[in-house]
Amino acid sequence: MAERTKIDARGAFCPGPLMELIAGLKLVDVGDEIEVLSSDKGSATDIPEWVKKVHHELVGVTQQEGVWSIVVRKAK
Amino acid sequence: MAALPLYILLCSGEHEKVHMAAMMASVGAVSERSVEVFVSMNAIFAFAQDAPERYRGGAFSDLMKQKRVTDSIMLFRQGKELGDLKMWACSMALDVTGWDEDRLTADLFDGPLGLTKFLSDAENGQFVTL
Repeated sequence: MAERTKIDARGAFCPGPLMELIAGLKLVDVGDEIEVLSSDKGSATDIPEWVKKVHHELVGVTQQEGVWSIVVRKAK
Repeated sequence: MAALPLYILLCSGEHEKVHMAAMMASVGAVSERSVEVFVSMNAIFAFAQDAPERYRGGAFSDLMKQKRVTDSIMLFRQGKELGDLKMWACSMALDVTGWDEDRLTADLFDGPLGLTKFLSDAENGQFVTL
């Protein structure tokens, strides 16, 4: 069964949240999801762009009180 | 279609430029793109193993230090660990400083390289100078 891991990258500046996501993806199985919490505005566009470029799957992006939650599914 | 390889010629030792090179190199390398960085001139001092004050810059450098933005060398390391990033120390810069490779930050550089070889390799890629 697919699992979801949470990475709290709040307080990290660009490209920190993306780099933490990539390091995290190396540790999980295909089909698993990672939720990145980021206070960096750029993450909301940068991470989806990276996901599209390298062919993973974007599950969703939400924002609450200045914190973005970006959920990515490992596709390969 | 595969992305063009990215070649970064880093000459400035200014913190802001070293950090932008680190951001471009690390993000490019983890985005299924081959990246090579050639470090020369004043930039070589930012990569000294024992640099007393590694990063010198202007107002933005002060802000980055104050806000504890990720260390530039750490970003280059992440690019190497997670992607396809090669780092070259300009052989001329090593000759002029009298430094051996041992004087450079450990486990970061792939070796010394001449500018002619770097330029030749870069002919079929995207070239950025900082």
